[in-house]
Amino acid sequence: MKQLYYDIKKCLGCKSCEIACALAHSLTQSILTAIKEEKLSLPRKKILYSKGKNYPVSCRHCKDPKCVDACMAHALVYNKEKGIVEHDESRCVGCWMCVMVCPYGAIRPNIKTKIPLRCDKCKDKDEPACVRACPTGAIIWQEEVVVDNKK
Amino acid sequence: MKKFVIIGNSAAGISAAEEIRRRDKDAAITMISSEDYTAYCRCLISYYLAKDIKEEKIVLRPQSFYKDNNIELILDKEVTRVDPKKNRIICADKKQVEYDALLIASGASPKFPDIKGVKRKGVFGFRTIKDIREIESLLTVAKAACVLGGGLVGLKAAYALKKRGLEVKVIIKSQHVLSQVLDAAAAGLVEQQLTGNAIELIKGHDAIEIIGEGDVRAVKLDSGKALESGLIIVAKGVAANMNLVRESGIALNQGILVNDMLATNIPNIYAAGDVTESLDITLNKPNVNALWPVAVEQGRIAGANIAQAGLKYDGSLGMNSIEFFGLPVVSLGVYKTDANDPSYEVLQKSDPGQKVYKKFVIKDNVLIGAILAGKIHNSGIFLRLMREKINILSVKERFFADDFGYPEIRDIVREEEKIYL
Repeated sequence: MKQLYYDIKKCLGCKSCEIACALAHSLTQSILTAIKEEKLSLPRKKILYSKGKNYPVSCRHCKDPKCVDACMAHALVYNKEKGIVEHDESRCVGCWMCVMVCPYGAIRPNIKTKIPLRCDKCKDKDEPACVRACPTGAIIWQEEVVVDNKK
Repeated sequence: MKKFVIIGNSAAGISAAEEIRRRDKDAAITMISSEDYTAYCRCLISYYLAKDIKEEKIVLRPQSFYKDNNIELILDKEVTRVDPKKNRIICADKKQVEYDALLIASGASPKFPDIKGVKRKGVFGFRTIKDIREIESLLTVAKAACVLGGGLVGLKAAYALKKRGLEVKVIIKSQHVLSQVLDAAAAGLVEQQLTGNAIELIKGHDAIEIIGEGDVRAVKLDSGKALESGLIIVAKGVAANMNLVRESGIALNQGILVNDMLATNIPNIYAAGDVTESLDITLNKPNVNALWPVAVEQGRIAGANIAQAGLKYDGSLGMNSIEFFGLPVVSLGVYKTDANDPSYEVLQKSDPGQKVYKKFVIKDNVLIGAILAGKIHNSGIFLRLMREKINILSVKERFFADDFGYPEIRDIVREEEKIYL
């Protein structure tokens, strides 16, 4: 299963990925019309800065997802085959428990829609929109590198 | 074939059952619940009463879940006694079930104050679907409701009743709402949201009598004042459901005491969820943290250990996410400090115009508490710093910054996964 990796040496912090992400999750999919949508589509990825480097931050779809444990509405389920935390928005009540427990601060509340903003790896497309949008190739979409998490 | 019994069918019980089944395909699993429903999302009952969500959305696991996982589910049955000597449990109807290992996930029940009239018809806890159904049946006749208690459950009940068109008064013994989890400044922001939406708060008073003839008519306060009310919700905290183990020799305090494997003092009996008293990471002593995420995690670890996995449980800590009328608030760990103890450090900033308030409680350079009101987007980062007891000296100045985030704690937390090359 594929995962997002970031070559932070290449990241300029241009936020092209943020825009592409917001656009990919908009209703109209066009930047000219998306900015006029009633519920403005917001990015599920944020570029944060630390010690001279830029870091794209978004949901990692953890194998041991704290957000799934915390979700009191059973709106979050970890799909093992696909390697993603699936979010059933129809069950979500906007309680922000997932925001409260995400160890990466990667889930942000969208107070207007009462639905948290979280990366879905653009699950209906071949690859996440941020990957194509990155002008320097800093965002890498590749098969997962297995790290030995001692259980 | 091993036989495992789980008392309880909510957050802890379900996650334990799933974990046992994942690790042991053959074991016989029996779940016993005193309630008459398959598992549901207990924390959503206020949304259900408010008609924010439909009944199907509170289903946590459908009937098919039990069948698919080969779990025997016994509903509407009270377990009255655990008999560790004979490895069996005994139910109110004398039914006995034997086990090789037992998980007690019997949860908690609302505490009712010892005041006159508290048993009258129209006085409810706010915990179960049964409570909601009974409250629902009074909504056509009751015009006004009183909620006793200004904690999270009481306020959620108040919200739901207001949404259903009742006049709602919340009677709060403390000087502010949510006094267990918020300081006065953060509580003040929540109070603005509530009173701004016509929920009346009566602070610094307690109910001393529930007046009525058969049905509930009014609540009498310690001030002498009587408030007309056709419906009363009691939300003054919960107590662990431990009656079934009182005579068993299992060690108890405010909850069932467990070790770092979530086993009780009897090796083949485990406890998880709201009935459990386990190590609190920020208080550094045993405590009952009756919270959904804690119950799920404890259930999973206890289930794994019942299946002989030998997993360790790090402990829990207080964490609450509160949202009323568009204001999000997160409370983590402890917010009260000892002013005479110089090892505490408190950082706080407020912007009342923007309805933003943040507070951090630090002891010996370790974060032990946080309140985030209005802006909560980094709360998981703070929770992590608390859980891992990280020395935060190098980053604490950045806590208030809107663009603070994971990259800045990356070097100081425990991290195995590498996504940044």
